[in-house]
Amino acid sequence: MKYSLVLVALLSALSLSAAQQSASTTIGTNNEIAVNDMQSSDQACQCNDIQNVTDKSEPVLKKNNTMLISVVGQGVAPMNTASPAQAYALAKRAAVADAYRLIAEKVKGVRIDGQDLIKNMMVKRSTVRTSVSAMVRNANVVETTFKEGLCEVEMEIVISHAQFK
Amino acid sequence: MRSRNGNSYFSRTVQVTLLLLYSFALQADEYLISYRYLVKDTILYNETLQISKAMQKCSGSPYEYLILETRDDKNLKEIITQNNQEFIEYLHKLGLNVVHNSKTSNYQYSETTILTLKTSCFKVDFNDNSVKISALK
Repeated sequence: MKYSLVLVALLSALSLSAAQQSASTTIGTNNEIAVNDMQSSDQACQCNDIQNVTDKSEPVLKKNNTMLISVVGQGVAPMNTASPAQAYALAKRAAVADAYRLIAEKVKGVRIDGQDLIKNMMVKRSTVRTSVSAMVRNANVVETTFKEGLCEVEMEIVISHAQFK
Repeated sequence: MRSRNGNSYFSRTVQVTLLLLYSFALQADEYLISYRYLVKDTILYNETLQISKAMQKCSGSPYEYLILETRDDKNLKEIITQNNQEFIEYLHKLGLNVVHNSKTSNYQYSETTILTLKTSCFKVDFNDNSVKISALK
């Protein structure tokens, strides 16, 4: 009887240790697989990005040609509005300004300044400033949507080569 | 003494009458208009539209116009207030200066966009039921 109890205890201990080992190996392999999958997907993404960059050449405005630029500006209504109509009007105005800014950025470009302050081998402050200054005329609002306080304005502008002479 | 055409008095009277009628029917003025608004973090602030009558004659020729319907109103400010949306769209069509600045400091982003129409001269023709606003170039 005593021997049988000892035998049962030994067998249960062995089976428990074997189960733990198998579980740890499966977890490890799963993690490895997941990591490998992520690495492979990252590599695939990078490759796709590179391919997209090489395939999609930026449109260039050639001589005697015109180009259509389309942007979507976003604006939000302030909290303290008198009526939904006022909220819509204000949000639309903000969205139009955003669309104008996007057109200016696309056509004229953006100036970017960066500044990092490092003290005692640590980054104390990191600042990036962007600025755009342009004159935009003859831009047309194509579509306006207003959903849940966010106004989106789709704006288009046709630019021609002659305008940049 | 009679003139060669025989009825100079009548023709002069007609001319003067037509001139008077034309001047009463059409009253052209020149106005200085400026427009500016600021958008900070996608919220609109400080929208200002300044309208004042020009004290000096403006140079330039009209190139883009807007016709607003009125009911025999000669006050441009009131007319524009009543047709605010159309007039602002017209100003956008004329062209606005865009100045945009953004700042990202310690991963916190803020931006400011200012749209401005610098003070420009507009020719305004008041008619009976409409007003014609033309930008001068």
